[in-house]
Amino acid sequence: MLTRRRFLESIALGSAAAGLGTLPAFAEDYPTKGIELVVSYGAGGGTDLVARAFADQAKKHLPQAIGVVNKTGGSGAIGFSDVMIARPDGYKIGMGTVELTMLPHMGLARFTIDDFTPICRLNAEPAAITVKDDAPWKTIEEFLDYAKANPGKVRIGNSGTGAIWHIAMAALATKLGTEFNHIPYEGANPAVTALLGGHIEAVGVSPPEVSSQVLAGKLRMLAVVGDKRAKGFDNVPTLKEKGIDLSVYTWRGIVVPKKVPQPIVDILRKAAKATADEPGFKEALEKMNLTWAYADGPEFRKQMEHDNAFFKETMTRLGIAK
Amino acid sequence: MHELQLLGQGAIALTHQPMALLLAVFGVMLGIIIGALPGLTATMGVAILLPFTFGMDPVTGLLMINGVFFGGVYGGSITAILLKIPGTPAAAATAMDGYELTKKGLAGIALGTATCSSFLGGTISIIVLIFLSPILASFALEFSASETFALAVFGLSIIASISGKSPIKGLISGFVGLLVATVGLDPLGGFPRFTGGFTELYSVPFIPVMIGLFAATEAFVQMEEPGVRKAVSMALGRVLPPWATYKKMLPTVGRSTALGIAIGIIPGAGADIAAFVAYNEAKRFSKTPENYGKGELTAVAACESGANGCTGGALLTMLTLGVPGDAVTAVMLGALTLQGLQPGPLLFKEHSDLVFTLFSGMLFCYVTMLILGFSSLHFIGKVLTMPKAVLTPLILALCIVGTYALNNSVFDIGIMLTAGIVGYLMQKWDFPAPPIVLALIMGPMAEANFRRALSLSDGSYDFLWTRPITVAFLTVAFLSLMLPVWRAWKERRAAA
Repeated sequence: MLTRRRFLESIALGSAAAGLGTLPAFAEDYPTKGIELVVSYGAGGGTDLVARAFADQAKKHLPQAIGVVNKTGGSGAIGFSDVMIARPDGYKIGMGTVELTMLPHMGLARFTIDDFTPICRLNAEPAAITVKDDAPWKTIEEFLDYAKANPGKVRIGNSGTGAIWHIAMAALATKLGTEFNHIPYEGANPAVTALLGGHIEAVGVSPPEVSSQVLAGKLRMLAVVGDKRAKGFDNVPTLKEKGIDLSVYTWRGIVVPKKVPQPIVDILRKAAKATADEPGFKEALEKMNLTWAYADGPEFRKQMEHDNAFFKETMTRLGIAK
Repeated sequence: MHELQLLGQGAIALTHQPMALLLAVFGVMLGIIIGALPGLTATMGVAILLPFTFGMDPVTGLLMINGVFFGGVYGGSITAILLKIPGTPAAAATAMDGYELTKKGLAGIALGTATCSSFLGGTISIIVLIFLSPILASFALEFSASETFALAVFGLSIIASISGKSPIKGLISGFVGLLVATVGLDPLGGFPRFTGGFTELYSVPFIPVMIGLFAATEAFVQMEEPGVRKAVSMALGRVLPPWATYKKMLPTVGRSTALGIAIGIIPGAGADIAAFVAYNEAKRFSKTPENYGKGELTAVAACESGANGCTGGALLTMLTLGVPGDAVTAVMLGALTLQGLQPGPLLFKEHSDLVFTLFSGMLFCYVTMLILGFSSLHFIGKVLTMPKAVLTPLILALCIVGTYALNNSVFDIGIMLTAGIVGYLMQKWDFPAPPIVLALIMGPMAEANFRRALSLSDGSYDFLWTRPITVAFLTVAFLSLMLPVWRAWKERRAAA
């Protein structure tokens, strides 16, 4: 039912865009029709859920509804490209993720971060190092000492080659001056499954992706690769506390094509801030085990630029960059 | 029987929640429709309904989602049998013999058999889920990359049994499928292969190819025949299979269900693989394997009980270990988390009353599916009495809309139509299409896991002979491929 509605909606949006395209857009009236929020990943995934929760709560702060459209494929490149080439009238906006700063370096995308104007960041999760409960390493020091003494021995599962957790663990190996055996899986879940089965030594995925198993005592989280400790795991130290200056975050937020006029960007930024502050939005994120991490456009841009440089440098060193 | 008592309490608790039951019925109904339409899969149905469950209590929300899951797996068989449109990848296996039965005018019995077998497969798998969860759960974790690789190789060996008249042409189709499966992002390296610069080709467009090869091809074939006013077939007639006929299929249904459950438990393997494996094993055990592919009722029973048996298996892994057994349960994992229920070892301890209420609700969903299925078959079957001049364009339109709905991508429509034309030419020259679909399912799985196993073993090939499950699957795969050759050799000797 809903799919059909979405389908009709997209037809309606399409024809509206075609018909009204020649008229000048008056920013002060914005928005006068529905806004399309493009999600580059599948329905039901983390990015999709954040987008839908946001669209749902944004009703209170925008006169028009936001409709979520999933444009999947190409590791996210298809959806991001779709936003990049959209008419810069603010009626097609996108859910930007950390992959925006990664795909361009891998030769998988024609866009760069400069093709987008960030509106706000909504969510962010750090990497974490997690081992099995019966592993010999009780603390992060023991684990890192073992890794340093046995280069290439420790098998760390990640969510795909060139994906965020692979880069995070590869950067850690460089900091330590050792090597890991990186094992790519089709997403974080299969990697966690392999760790549960004892087929690998550790995973480098985010705390929410291992939390249920850690709480059940099946897995042990040794350290968080972030600026501060993860919520709900207050006894797990960060690497920074242990003197290793590394923090890698995955994040999700709203972006628009770079040519969208400033007045529209300002309207969206204001509405996005109010939406992010809605208790309903925070509650939805919490239910999904995701961390609320609102940041306004300029701050969000700083993070994008920092990550873009970090990934470019790390990926080039790893030989993944093109 | 502690579980039986808990289940009874769960059922009683459920009768006090009429809204949950009502939405479960709604879920099953919606699932059947989603499953029947090409392009819309159970995974998508579950994902789309997910936001609606935010405001519901856990039992209601989860039962509705389960209803969509169960209905979606079953619904695929309806269009597969009637129109050769596999609504889901698993239904591609059902379509092989199901559509042949429709051409013979036996659509009613075929649909009835599919409905009964889906019900039995699903219900048995839920009963296994209720009583044997703790024992079977550890089996899922045994599966590492090498075991999954071996399973995929075994799956590929099924090509030998779904090749139709000419095994050589079947193998050629299978190899073409494997070649197509190499298009996309390299599963381990992450770089593009054979994409020709098209971002849309970064992942193998599997479902558009399948819809094209089955449904669009059939539509093209229909177009060349004169007599456009004629109906495709007669009305359904009898739908309930005669007990004497169905009784003979029960051992196959039992075996297929067991296979389905086992495959469902394995992480990363779902209903599509289960349906094909069930088909293969039914043919292997059959006294008349030559009838397979020409309209064998037992084949339909095997595929459907296998695919639906998968549901309980996949739920078992997801609920007891907190890891998804297949793509649908991966989304359901999110649904449970949203309800504040962390799937995994603690779920049964902390929320056992709720879990057993859900279990009784799942059984209710399957009964609903059986009733809804049988009461709507006659109505759905009317589609066959439509004149071809109306039905054939409708099928093509449905293929196009369904393909577009998958990713909101016009590019996929082009792939689907290309696959349809290729499929049409293949049919002209007697190349079977099912091996391509099978190769597209199994090829990427075999490749990724073989290379992952090599990474895990640091480059050593030892995993091929040191791990018991791997060795067992590879041996069975070898035998499956060799059996037809050996049979032919024996026949020749007997003749001489």
